[in-house]
Amino acid sequence: MPIVLTSDMVAGALKTGHSTRVDVAIEPRFKVGQRVRAKNLQPLGHTRLVRYVRGRVGIVETDYGVFTLPDTMAHGNIPTPQHGYRVSFTSHELWGPAADPKNSYRVGLWEDYLDPASDMAP
Amino acid sequence: MNGIHDLGGMHGLGKILHTPDEPVFRSEWEGRVFAMLLSVNGVGHVNTDEFRHSMERMEPAQYLSVSYYEHWLHGLETLLYEKGIIAVADLDAKLAQIKGNDACQ
Repeated sequence: MPIVLTSDMVAGALKTGHSTRVDVAIEPRFKVGQRVRAKNLQPLGHTRLVRYVRGRVGIVETDYGVFTLPDTMAHGNIPTPQHGYRVSFTSHELWGPAADPKNSYRVGLWEDYLDPASDMAP
Repeated sequence: MNGIHDLGGMHGLGKILHTPDEPVFRSEWEGRVFAMLLSVNGVGHVNTDEFRHSMERMEPAQYLSVSYYEHWLHGLETLLYEKGIIAVADLDAKLAQIKGNDACQ
């Protein structure tokens, strides 16, 4: 691993960015269309499980593929590769009965943030 | 962490300000901070998740009151210190030197 960024590396670094995608085949735990509940995790360290989805039920819209997990990458560079999903939530599910039902929300969530939800309405 | 960065759903913060013709960098120092991050993130000293977490750990009132690239600078200094790449004394000495130079001009 190089230690110093040299001028010849700058253009490439700017162009490609730093994707956290991992090229390994891992079976996804969830399918597109499946109902999932975001876990109520309250870690002291880093997470991208935003507070407003914790405990809420949504539907998997897209499986983005396999990525490193921010929660462990931020603390010791530990990859913990797993699928990341786009999960759709209704406005009522996130913001209560007074929220505008025309709105819905799509949140990028890692597999470790999710549990399967029953087919019952939340 | 349940930090000040996770603002989704909070009330009372006012309208979202949007500047349609916002420049990439509002002043030269912002470009320098961008380059400083690339010089450590681009070669594996720091990963993006560590960097995000370094900004989340800012003192909450300060977090809300400083600009975008000041968050970056704070995070960079925190990580470079925590990884033993810079010492607080070195940073303080350099800042004092720069302030001294400015005072002479």
